[in-house]
Amino acid sequence: MKRFCYTAIKFIKVIRMTNRLPWWMGGVLMAGLLLLTFSVFGADRPLGASTYVPYSAGLIFGLDPEKYSYLKEINFPGAWEGVLLLGALVGGFVTSVFITRSFRFSIIPTGWKKYKNDSVLSRLIWSFVSGFIMIIGARMAGGCTSGHFMSGMSQMAISSMIFGAVVMIALVVTGKLFYSKKERS
Amino acid sequence: MFSTVISEPHGSLALVFLIGVIFGGIIQHTRVDKFEKIAGFAMLKDTIVPKMLFLTVGITSIGLYFMVEAGWAHYHIKPILLMGLIIGGTLFGASMAIFGKCPGTGPVSIAEGRIDVLVGAIGGLFGGLVFTLYYDDFFKPLMGESLGKLTLPNLFPGHEHIVVLLFGIVVTAIAIMIPKIEFFDEADLEQLPDSERPDKIQ
Repeated sequence: MKRFCYTAIKFIKVIRMTNRLPWWMGGVLMAGLLLLTFSVFGADRPLGASTYVPYSAGLIFGLDPEKYSYLKEINFPGAWEGVLLLGALVGGFVTSVFITRSFRFSIIPTGWKKYKNDSVLSRLIWSFVSGFIMIIGARMAGGCTSGHFMSGMSQMAISSMIFGAVVMIALVVTGKLFYSKKERS
Repeated sequence: MFSTVISEPHGSLALVFLIGVIFGGIIQHTRVDKFEKIAGFAMLKDTIVPKMLFLTVGITSIGLYFMVEAGWAHYHIKPILLMGLIIGGTLFGASMAIFGKCPGTGPVSIAEGRIDVLVGAIGGLFGGLVFTLYYDDFFKPLMGESLGKLTLPNLFPGHEHIVVLLFGIVVTAIAIMIPKIEFFDEADLEQLPDSERPDKIQ
């Protein structure tokens, strides 16, 4: 018991010092959240995070939901994920300000400076283009990392396993081709 | 948006919002929203994201199966649209490597003050707009016909329990066996004790 308490205190100290949860704890917590979302006591649906984008686009650009079949199709999941997204924004903000203390305005990530370039314009243009392609890709496949990889693979869906394999390959191949191998000086 | 969620039985507005808060909190506190985690995985310099993802899937798959058996949850399987999955997955994977975010971690990064991600999200909104506008004429035919909503246990009728258990254990084992590699940036290193700083140990 004494030893357990000692380990627990040491563990909390490490988390406070490094300001981050270890990967296994994140995995366990995320599994708990997924199970809550799936359960009839929770939302009785999978957790997804890409349908809200076309849904918000429909709202922002003032598209008539009656005229576009896709907006009709996603009316409910889009709204559900929209509320989820608002929650994620609040959760991310509060955690970054009070717990990880990582809140700051920045434009170029450190990894981009190390393995790509120092240009603000280059990072912003690539962000815009990759964000654009990412949503088209996610909507064509019918899900993203959350909806397909986490929620879908947890249900052992074959579609999600195909998606997961294709994404992993495309991700690593692009990472190899797009970034320089060695750190830039 | 709010009225739609209120009128549907899938969780109250407050609960859905709370799920979002916890979702954002977990992503932020494990720091998997960082560019160095996702693009770092694409460069094979960081493996925290796949380790966490596989562990989540391993635990949830077993837990969810028992919950479905007990009547506490239902499966919501996505259909197999082969061309959609292959083309969409390729586009998604490639852009994830360049962007260093995905649709779930993006908003968390924006909440943390990352301007480049906000620009990427605006790009994403235009992507969503284009997809909605040309869905019937272009994207839907391209995605192909559904090959059904298959799951792994469906392929082994009569042995569902074993398949689920094996799947969960194997995926969890993969999560544990992937070697732990971390790509730290200066902001991370400052927070680590000297004994754990990879740049000071050598």
